[in-house]
Amino acid sequence: MSLISCQHITKRFGTKTALDDVSVDIPQGRIFGLLGPNGAGKTTLIRIINRILIQNEGAVLFEGRPITREDVARIGYLPEERGLYRKMKVGDQAMYLAQLKGMSASEASAELKKWFQKFGIASWWNKKVEELSKGMAQKVQFITTVVHRPSLLILDEPFSGFDPVNAQLIRDEILALKEQGATILLSTHNMESVEQLCDNIALINKSRLVISGSVDAIRRDYGQHRRSVEYTGAPLQPDSAVFDLVSDEAMDECRMALLAPAPGADNAAVLTALLAQGANILSFSETTARMNDIFISLVQS
Amino acid sequence: MNLHTIRVIITREYLNKVKKKSFLLITFLVPVLFAAVTVLPALIMLFAKEEGKKIRVLDRSAVVQPYLTDNALATYTFCPADTPVDSLKAALPASGQDVLLVVMPVPDSLFNLKAESYSLKPIGEGLKGELQARIRQAVKYKRIDDYGINGLPAIVENLDPDLSLRSYTLDENGNETVSESGVFMTVSMILGMMIFLFITLFGGGVMSSVIEEKSSRVVEVLISSVRATELMFGKIIGVALVALTQFSLWILLTVALIGLAGGMMGKNVFTQENVQAMGEMAGSGSMGMHPNVSVSSAGDLVTTLGSMPWGEIILCFFVFFFFGYLLYASLFAAIGSAVENEADTQQLQIPLTIPLMLGFFISIVAFRAPDSPVVFWGSMIPFTSPIVMLARLPFGVPAWELVVSIVLLILTVLLGAWLSAKIYKVGILMFGKKGSFKDLWKWLKMK
Repeated sequence: MSLISCQHITKRFGTKTALDDVSVDIPQGRIFGLLGPNGAGKTTLIRIINRILIQNEGAVLFEGRPITREDVARIGYLPEERGLYRKMKVGDQAMYLAQLKGMSASEASAELKKWFQKFGIASWWNKKVEELSKGMAQKVQFITTVVHRPSLLILDEPFSGFDPVNAQLIRDEILALKEQGATILLSTHNMESVEQLCDNIALINKSRLVISGSVDAIRRDYGQHRRSVEYTGAPLQPDSAVFDLVSDEAMDECRMALLAPAPGADNAAVLTALLAQGANILSFSETTARMNDIFISLVQS
Repeated sequence: MNLHTIRVIITREYLNKVKKKSFLLITFLVPVLFAAVTVLPALIMLFAKEEGKKIRVLDRSAVVQPYLTDNALATYTFCPADTPVDSLKAALPASGQDVLLVVMPVPDSLFNLKAESYSLKPIGEGLKGELQARIRQAVKYKRIDDYGINGLPAIVENLDPDLSLRSYTLDENGNETVSESGVFMTVSMILGMMIFLFITLFGGGVMSSVIEEKSSRVVEVLISSVRATELMFGKIIGVALVALTQFSLWILLTVALIGLAGGMMGKNVFTQENVQAMGEMAGSGSMGMHPNVSVSSAGDLVTTLGSMPWGEIILCFFVFFFFGYLLYASLFAAIGSAVENEADTQQLQIPLTIPLMLGFFISIVAFRAPDSPVVFWGSMIPFTSPIVMLARLPFGVPAWELVVSIVLLILTVLLGAWLSAKIYKVGILMFGKKGSFKDLWKWLKMK
């Protein structure tokens, strides 16, 4: 079931169309990657889901009914353009943001103390934000995003500004929140983390939805159904009825070939043809494309 | 509108501003300044009285002596008319006298004198004026006497009238009250200036607060939790409460300080003499020349102050401050939303600073000519009316004019707040660009 369903969203700013008939479903309890080059319209779509902007056409459904102001309190949003009041104390600030999300003062205080303990930053409570480093401020910001236990977390470039250790901490935290049932909308240019974290993705380019679906299916589809073979023996010859040879290289102790199967040729047919050529097969696998390559090829085409 | 979140926003805005060092500083410094302005002139008068100088007089004319009578400024001793000047000069340092005054006749068609003073330290303007006046008087009466007309000196004496204009205002029933125009001017000036300062100060405060949220990028998180309009009006109300707090503290502290200063110096600060002295200092320096003409008695001053419609003035002060502030604060908020640092606001602020300055200048006209057309229209047009109407108030304003002015102001506030909210909503999300008037107009038309 979809937690959020964006249906035929169109958003115009004056004469400029920022989103053109974009439909996206974000399944409950999954991590959903929203991808696209800069200026594609990702932030606009996120702002529409958040009710910061109102779409010109289309509808946003939350648990199957039109989203309301009250639902927004169940969203935690970490914008790409983020920051905190520089002159305000960390604790006061976290309390303020938590209360704006509808928490009572006592509830906010108890929850925040727990998170501060967990992140090992309890001693920062009375520090001003301007005394913190950028990474430290990002930790505080992450806590303020999740403290009210949102059903939907929208994270726009959540790893920027973190060192590898803290990025891992945030990654673990995102996975833990998913375990607890939260749905996560992740917008990032970091394709590695998309491969690690996301279950589903949607790619937006030039205001339009280019592709959406599960990460595995997309990687397989864009892997162009190639097979990689490690073998020993005489170099392979292409067999136009069964496969084409894309590459074939000698490694230290074996050879490594990349095959493009002919239409209609399944794995059994390819393997039979390989064995017929006398190859001693060490491994045989379907290749999947890297998200990075898929992203570049889709955006450029 | 969600009351919980608005309350949270107002509380933060209020506490954040009130806890600032600059707030505390201004809150405590201004009353000290006010108190100083009120008490200092009296204090100065108290300590300005110089000890009387001892003056030795060599009067070769034999006419001046009767006019030189001892007073607080000087005590005189006279030496024989045939004493040589040089010996007196030589003796001055050891004589214990401060000044040697030499007066001798000069040949002229009319009787005339020449006067010279010698002293070890330069003599002050006050003493110099006093001596000149006395000697001039002696010459004047000697000349009158020389006409030889019987009784003329007495006639001339009586020619100098003791006159001052006492102003009364009449109400419909023909009751009259003493009204001192200087007092009206002062009260009018203070009221106009206070509103002008408050609107500029706190309107600007709203703007900086908006800019702070935008430039620190905290704003996008905020408006994912609350509506942009809730944020904007929460902020405006929060700052208004700060203004009220500051205003109340100013009044309390000023009164306390003046009372304290008065108590410390005994009862002699607000004596009639000192109140008059304050009046003289506040007015132009030339008033001192004719003390009994221009300066009203302290009694008139108090009567005039008492006759002003204070209830109406205070009520109107709050009404006009509140709505004037609301109008300008929301416009300032719209401008703040277009930029990311204060330096970029200068051009955008012009449409707001011009009417504010205009209001201030018209209010200056108001306390000189309260019934002129420019003042009337200035007190009706909403962008200047808060300042100009306040400056008009002490002189009395017909009720219908007040009502029309307030209604016009409120309508403009509603329109201004609505337009500002539209600009603000779009502007705060526009990062990385410096808004221009063209942008503001574009945002205004956006749905």
